[in-house]
Amino acid sequence: MSTIALRIEELSVFYSLRKRLFGLGPAETVKAVQSVSLELRQGEILGLVGESGCGKSSLGKAIIRLIEPTSGKIEIAGVDFRSLKGEELRKKRSFVQMVFQDPYASLDPRMTVHAILAEPLQAAGIFKSAEMNARIMEVLGLVGIAKQNVHRYPHEFSGGQRQRVAIARALILKPKVIIADEPVSSLDVSVQAQILNLLKDIQKELGLSMLFISHNLAVVKYLADRIAVMYLGKVVEVADQEELFAHPSHPYTRALLSAVPIPDPRKEKARARIPLKGEIPSPVNLPKGCAFHTRCPNAFDRCRTETPSLERTTASNREVACFAPHV
Amino acid sequence: MAKTVLEVRNFQAFFHTRRGIVRAVDNVSFKVHEGETLGVVGESGSGKTVCQLSYLRLLPEPPLRIHSGEVILNGSLDLLKQAPSGMRKIRGSQVSMIFQEPMTSLNPYMTVGSQIMEPLRIHLKLSRKDAAIEAAKALDRVGIADVKAALGRYPHEFSGGMRQRVMIAMALTTKPKLLIADEPTTALDVTVQAQILDLLRSIQQETGMAIVFITHDLGVVASIAHEVVVMYAGKVMERGNAEQLFYQTQHPYTHALLQSTPRIDINQGKLPAIGGTPPDLSRLEQGCPFVGRCAHKRAICEGTFPEAKLYPAGHEAYCHLEGLPA
Repeated sequence: MSTIALRIEELSVFYSLRKRLFGLGPAETVKAVQSVSLELRQGEILGLVGESGCGKSSLGKAIIRLIEPTSGKIEIAGVDFRSLKGEELRKKRSFVQMVFQDPYASLDPRMTVHAILAEPLQAAGIFKSAEMNARIMEVLGLVGIAKQNVHRYPHEFSGGQRQRVAIARALILKPKVIIADEPVSSLDVSVQAQILNLLKDIQKELGLSMLFISHNLAVVKYLADRIAVMYLGKVVEVADQEELFAHPSHPYTRALLSAVPIPDPRKEKARARIPLKGEIPSPVNLPKGCAFHTRCPNAFDRCRTETPSLERTTASNREVACFAPHV
Repeated sequence: MAKTVLEVRNFQAFFHTRRGIVRAVDNVSFKVHEGETLGVVGESGSGKTVCQLSYLRLLPEPPLRIHSGEVILNGSLDLLKQAPSGMRKIRGSQVSMIFQEPMTSLNPYMTVGSQIMEPLRIHLKLSRKDAAIEAAKALDRVGIADVKAALGRYPHEFSGGMRQRVMIAMALTTKPKLLIADEPTTALDVTVQAQILDLLRSIQQETGMAIVFITHDLGVVASIAHEVVVMYAGKVMERGNAEQLFYQTQHPYTHALLQSTPRIDINQGKLPAIGGTPPDLSRLEQGCPFVGRCAHKRAICEGTFPEAKLYPAGHEAYCHLEGLPA
């Protein structure tokens, strides 16, 4: 059994909305993430997929404590991350680093690449310029940015190169866990492939553990070893990559996979879609029972009253939250 | 052969900026037939959107200047020779357009009902009452439940998918012969995207409307397009029907694009990425714009842009190669 790089237990993130007029009536809460438990193994890429509003980004931000989780436990490399405070938290911040979707927004336009990469080092207490420079040159080499570009500003780079700088910034403190939140979604296909290959290569080279968040199932299939599927704040299925795509089990996973277009006209014409009825319910007024029952083609009475929990299926190395999973 | 609804011939439109001339649309030709969908594929900056916007005269001129070409609607009307008033009559009645982000293209201050009624009142000169009846029918056709209530709502009260349905309803009220759809599903989730593609297909079958579908997603092209044009740096690289483009690919760019797209149906080893980035359109050289990133480039590619190589049944590739090496 491999060791666990990141363990989250029953993690919840609720956002409270503004109180009603004069404080009358109950305050409304958006239940973005509800009691999610996941394990990221040492040296693996765990893909986290779901549609907009399913809570995947909230979960990612809660792990690095950009958003304070409402409840639950986060353990990174054996350290209880949620109980850390003050100076101790600051020191351990280097354990987990994040790459964001939009490199235009996540890099300070007034800082050079050198300054962008030096900042986390200084925050971690590394001030000797020789040591800093060596480290900066090392990560730039890793992400494929030529060393002579170190004094340039973000606007002088293309989108793909900027994302390389963002990845370098995440790597520079040698984190135990990387959270990548849609890191290729704003890139064109030809550049996207470069960044995906880069992530794959450095993950292998450094033995990184990565939580890769994306709405794009094809991208997740390419990169991830295991995949967790989220719907309305909950993980509904977790399985190995090949297993999940070959035999999706949860009705939502099945519908989601059937909707992803394939760049092959004959296959596209021959495919059977599993259409989903209606719209995704509001995370303020979650349906009773299984949150997916309002759109599920197989829902029956039990789904409307009881909530299925994520359970390991007997046949395979997979967990599903469904009373009638497809086998 | 189905009737040609739109024919674009040797269309050239450049931006004249202080930094120089940006060759955004350079010698582009294509045809769209009745009841068919033309997929226009390309990455950002390839000119796929600017091309459509410029012949519809939706871009400010200057900085845009149309240099040459013909854009023939319904076999006779040259859009490039129309006065602004003539174009206003054509847009919204014979040609409609839908956009990527429905929230920014719908007016947040107007109810959905009054927005749908607007083209009906202007182009078809319907009375308020008749326009309201037509608007209700239009919303019903795009699958919006409880039409009466929906007419009185504002765009922000709808989800992304529903807003795109409203946009489509609005675009279709005047029964256009041609719909220009600019990445209409890019901002939507895949399950909603599938619904919208189904909707467009069924409306097309019903009305025989021609669609120009702009997208960067080859999966979406495979799903909806009959004919395909691949654009790169303002130029057409390859054109053909969907079968030809996907199974008898002739241009190295199309091939590279297909190869570098992650897909869910097969296990891909290492993705063969296209190195480098697209060229700056204001500093284009004489030769093929893809030359810097092409795996099959030769000396001739640097100096001259190739003539079209013709393959069977209207399939064309702008490349010096005689077919793609295996």
